[in-house]
Amino acid sequence: MTNLPPPGEGALPAANNTPPEPTANPTIDTRNERLQDGINRCPRCGATEIQLRPSVGMLVCLFCRHEWAEARLDETIVNGDLAALRGTTIGSGASNIDTGAGSLITMKCAGCGAEVVVNTTEQMGARCHWCRHVLTVNEQVPNGAVPDAVLPFAITHDAAMVKIREFASKRRLFADRAFVRGFKPENVVGVYMPYLVVDANASADVAGFGEVKTRQYMRGTGDNKDIVYDADVYDVQRHVDFTADDLTIEASSERAQMNAALNTNNVINTILPFDTANAVKWNASYLTGFTSEKRNQDVAQTTPKLEDQLLSIARSQVASSVDRYDRGVRWERERVQVHGTRWVAMYLPVWLYSHYQERGGKSMVHYIAVNGRTGEVMGSVPVSTPRLLAAALTVGTVIEGIVIAMLGASG
Amino acid sequence: MIAILLSELTSGAVVAAGSGGPAWLLILGPAGAGGLYYGLWSYYRNTSKSHSFERETRIEAKPVTGHDAKVNEIKGTTKSGIDGDNGTDHRKRVQRLDP
Repeated sequence: MTNLPPPGEGALPAANNTPPEPTANPTIDTRNERLQDGINRCPRCGATEIQLRPSVGMLVCLFCRHEWAEARLDETIVNGDLAALRGTTIGSGASNIDTGAGSLITMKCAGCGAEVVVNTTEQMGARCHWCRHVLTVNEQVPNGAVPDAVLPFAITHDAAMVKIREFASKRRLFADRAFVRGFKPENVVGVYMPYLVVDANASADVAGFGEVKTRQYMRGTGDNKDIVYDADVYDVQRHVDFTADDLTIEASSERAQMNAALNTNNVINTILPFDTANAVKWNASYLTGFTSEKRNQDVAQTTPKLEDQLLSIARSQVASSVDRYDRGVRWERERVQVHGTRWVAMYLPVWLYSHYQERGGKSMVHYIAVNGRTGEVMGSVPVSTPRLLAAALTVGTVIEGIVIAMLGASG
Repeated sequence: MIAILLSELTSGAVVAAGSGGPAWLLILGPAGAGGLYYGLWSYYRNTSKSHSFERETRIEAKPVTGHDAKVNEIKGTTKSGIDGDNGTDHRKRVQRLDP
């Protein structure tokens, strides 16, 4: 351990406030210049019937079966050493949302000249109602609908169904009867959820008190004996410099609200992390057959969440350095200094099964979510209160009966 | 799950009662019922689950540095640990100082 300045009264040592040198170019251009809004054709035969084949993670032309993939985002941008990250760098797909930009985009079909409207709140492509060509949105528009990258589904619909059925079947006995009756795992929907993925270079300081037990002994007489302790109290300060690679933060304000009394969004958060290093450059054809949710949070709005996570990481990192305090540590002050961040917007794949429950005038949507890459599953299954109460009362009565019998026998 | 809980609770009761345990053991019945209700409810609803970003993110940290100075001694406390122990509760925020 190196020595920091002596502990102050309620303050940490002053941080190094040298302003970080901003990067030369604070915006990473992630546009897929090969693609434009409208018709995008198979590079081999020119057909527009293109969609993702999840089992191999490739785009496939439904006409000639040619398969290909967009380049990985990590291969197309300069990553560099995270410890050298300074200032705030933002992908062009994560730039601030223009509140005046609407969700509806009108595209001119290159096949027949008709105008086709796409509602980017829910989908990133549409079929021309006259000539049946598929039109997709590929140019980055300032409404948050086109991110820097997309991580394609690798778990198929069938595999997601199996995982959801398995999860729910383990929770069938005490589940709400309406949930059991309406359970149809085939209704699972593939959704691309919006996230901001952040690399960060930060330093953190924490300060508080730790106690070391020096003696343990009995005090009192007869039935009034207590265990008592002597301890030494220490002023404890810790500092850690660290980098975090691909912290993943919800970029939809609705999904970011995690209140167990009102929603089950924590379920979707729990299936993180994703293998974001494998995300590819944007191509709306990856979304064909899936739904998507538009990003509505900017970097500035999610920065407090990032700093909160960096503080938690710092506290986790210093935990092993205070093992000697066997009576515990009470942290009282903390500080994070973010030297540099790099943000990119991504669509990440989630299979979602939902059940709408209304009880006592309150409604809640219960989700069972499957990570579209790793297959990790988590969910919220509504409970049948009468069944749960009956089980609890039965078990409590049995235990009580055994205790009474034992006390009677010993008395 | 019910069987395990029942087994744990009754074995505790048997040991205590067999050694002439006191009447407070009667609390085991209601406690068992409450524990089972909460345990099953949590297993179904998973309200406390979230992404463990502290462990599941690629973190590269330099060696932790710091300072420890003895500032006081406590004699004869009946408390088995420090007040407000938050050493493992990494997400509980404390006073935030400016960078």
